[in-house]
Amino acid sequence: MEKKKFRSKKGAERVSLVLIYAILIIISLIWLIPFLMLIILSFRGEQVGMSVDYLFPKQWSFNNYVRLFTETKFLTWYGNTLLVSVIVTVVQTVIVLMTSYALSRLRFKLRKPLMNLMLILGMFPGFLSMTAVYFVLKEIGLTQNLLGLILVYSASSAMQYYICKGFFDTIPKSLDEAARIDGASRHTVFLKIILPLAKPIIIYTILTAFIAPWGEYMFSSFIMLGNDDKFTVAVGMKSWLDNATLMGQEGYFPIFCAAAVVVSIPITALFIWLQRYYVEGVTGGSVKG
Amino acid sequence: MAEVSLKHIYKVYPNGTKAVNDFNMYIEDKEFIVFVGPSGCGKSTTLRMIAGLEDISAGELKIGDLVVNDMEPKDRDIAMVFQNYALYPHMTVYDNIAFGLRLRKLPKDEIHDKVVEAANILGITEYLDKKPKEMSGGQRQRVALGRAIVREPKVMLLDEPLSNLDAKLRTQMRSEISKLHSKLGTTFIYVTHDQVEAMTMGTRIVVMKDGFVQQIDTPKNLYNFPANKFVAGFIGTPQMNFFEGTLLKTDDKVIIAFDNSTAQITVPYSKLYKAKPEYLDGKTKVYIGLRPEDVSLADGGNKNGGSVVKVKISHKEELGSETLIYGDINMDGDGYDGSPTRIIIKDNGNREWQTGDVVEAVLNLERVHLFDAETEASVLPRVPEYNYLNCEVKGGRLIFCGAEVALPKAAECGDLKGELLLPTDAVIIGGSLKAEIVSCEKINGVYLLALTLNGNRLYAVVPECVDGNSVNIGLDFKKITVKTDGESKITPLPELNEFACKFVKNKAVEEIEINGKVKKQKTVRFGFVVEGTFFEANEENVQKIFAALGLKKAFSAGLKIECGASDLTVADEGIAASVLETLDYGTEKFLKCAVGENIVYVKCDAEKRGDIRLLPDFGRVGVVETEREIKII
Repeated sequence: MEKKKFRSKKGAERVSLVLIYAILIIISLIWLIPFLMLIILSFRGEQVGMSVDYLFPKQWSFNNYVRLFTETKFLTWYGNTLLVSVIVTVVQTVIVLMTSYALSRLRFKLRKPLMNLMLILGMFPGFLSMTAVYFVLKEIGLTQNLLGLILVYSASSAMQYYICKGFFDTIPKSLDEAARIDGASRHTVFLKIILPLAKPIIIYTILTAFIAPWGEYMFSSFIMLGNDDKFTVAVGMKSWLDNATLMGQEGYFPIFCAAAVVVSIPITALFIWLQRYYVEGVTGGSVKG
Repeated sequence: MAEVSLKHIYKVYPNGTKAVNDFNMYIEDKEFIVFVGPSGCGKSTTLRMIAGLEDISAGELKIGDLVVNDMEPKDRDIAMVFQNYALYPHMTVYDNIAFGLRLRKLPKDEIHDKVVEAANILGITEYLDKKPKEMSGGQRQRVALGRAIVREPKVMLLDEPLSNLDAKLRTQMRSEISKLHSKLGTTFIYVTHDQVEAMTMGTRIVVMKDGFVQQIDTPKNLYNFPANKFVAGFIGTPQMNFFEGTLLKTDDKVIIAFDNSTAQITVPYSKLYKAKPEYLDGKTKVYIGLRPEDVSLADGGNKNGGSVVKVKISHKEELGSETLIYGDINMDGDGYDGSPTRIIIKDNGNREWQTGDVVEAVLNLERVHLFDAETEASVLPRVPEYNYLNCEVKGGRLIFCGAEVALPKAAECGDLKGELLLPTDAVIIGGSLKAEIVSCEKINGVYLLALTLNGNRLYAVVPECVDGNSVNIGLDFKKITVKTDGESKITPLPELNEFACKFVKNKAVEEIEINGKVKKQKTVRFGFVVEGTFFEANEENVQKIFAALGLKKAFSAGLKIECGASDLTVADEGIAASVLETLDYGTEKFLKCAVGENIVYVKCDAEKRGDIRLLPDFGRVGVVETEREIKII
């Protein structure tokens, strides 16, 4: 009897595992198919329209990539986006880290109300203020200008403090205190003790700070309206979709796919480069045994 | 390498909780001080205030000759070891130790030499290239110690450094820290909740509870002369046995009776000279304390009458080297923690016994401790506050202990028979009475002189030791009290005068001539208003007030000025007062004055009448915030 019970338990476990894996495989396929389609389509050599009923190209070719960089303004847009994203990433990461450290370590009046206010303000969608922001930028002459875009993207950086502050809270305060007794100022504590320990959260902050402006459409389409030399990739590629005649032309659809693949490269590269810092247990051994 | 002095240190949180209350201590160079007490007693907070990690609410903290209240931790020249080590995890052991030196911009070679030397002392040379997470708890704590000693600080602060280690390692590290202390010759301040650590390591121990200092003394004195029941119970394992009971004096004997038991023991009165007479009336409840090592099982032959009580054995604790017997002196008690009559005995192997037996236990009466049932203070303080004597006043002369002295004018009263409350510090050397010296011992910086005056015991607290067989003594009449039928006939002069006051800001516009031009200049003066008179406060006092109360509260808080009679002088300007009478104590004269509704005493050798003005010496007065009872200055 005992043995039978045991076996049936093991059997049930196996069945549930199979089920779980099956569901996971299906979900991941659903996730991956659009990406695979994009990559495959970007290599299509034959000039056919969007609506064909097969996936794999009859003729593999790099031609779409060549045309992307020679016949369109994509390279300009790509440069614009990269410039804006990199600057925003630097500015935002610095601001977020500093805000989080202050909110995690310093105790000052209105600290709690300030944190709550930032949290609540962050819940409103950014585009609510779009027209107001536009008119402000227009007054100071920063519409159709990349600097304007950088300002808009970095403006609310400090509101992203929440996750980062949570991480700082897990670094024992006695480390700060030990360093301060050792002769460090708050500034030194932040740079020499907290930052080296906060690598995972710095990576996280950099990634999120980069991805947001990289794919942002709404603000940039509004601010850059009417000047396609200042478009970002999202706005530019959307303009292709809007332009029915352009998309209607044979062959522009694979170029779009090629552009999508090129757009995804920096994010992928950034992640692959930074993920090695995602080492587990960075704080191991600092306190207690 | 420095002294540390704490004067009236308070820690008060914004919600009014007082974590540390009026902490006063002078720590000498090279001492090993241990703060000990249960959790939440304020010991860590005090240490963190010394380190500069916590603000000091009020009081003055000095390291060496410097007041460090407002100094950053890094400027105080201290080092601290934390309970959780607080090593920098991303740095190697070498970098951890060198961190402080690098911040001080020392040359590289010097840093290297110092790190290697510290590592040698602590035996961690082979781990210098490792990261903290690759090391065991004991090794990590050694690194933390290394980081502290490498900077050669004036004071080493250790906050429960051994609490995270296992028992064996703890014992080992304990002796290593003691060794380190004697090797470095630095002042150590060590916080722990473990009384064994405190007893084994400290040259002096501060026992704390609920933010109050209970007793500061050497380990031996804490053990032998606990100031109150808490200290008695906290120091020593197993805990001291406490029983409720009463004391009754009969001639030259005192009978100690136990509650909930028929047990009674008798001790000679000479052991209880220092006790207040009220305790000996057979009604006042006291706690009787006896350590387990001062109780032993009687071996049948060793019955010396009064000092034996019957004990019912309930259970035992076998500790290997010794056995603890738990029992109850109440035959109905169960011998467990809840029973007020439980007794713990260290077995001496005198006698065979079984659980449930009723046996006789011998109490070592030489070492009995007695505590007040309400205040829990020791009934037999090491330095008694008062001598309690019978006295008679006849024709302006005070007769006590078979001796006679003339009362000064200020302390005159009609003929009576009553009690004399003579403070031990009111017995002064040099006078008309000849007393024999029994002993003179130094206790906490003062000398306690035990005297006999015509066969009666008298205690005196004197600043210097007195040699010889006899000494002439006199009385300081302004401190004595004479009572008859519970009514005071002679009252002492109050030690402190109190004035209500406020802290204020005075703005004034002054005209100043600069280069021939008259310019108006605004000046702001801070000061105290006492009874409508403004006194400008000096810079130091202004800072203390603001530090303790904050910018807003400083002006709204109710304050009170405390000053002794000699801190007031009669002057042309000052607080208005009217003289009620002149008190003549023979060598000194005092004016009793009315200030508003209060009575104030001023030392003044000249005769004064009518309205006068009083000037407090603001360099010496104390200022207390009345609402929370915090001494600010």
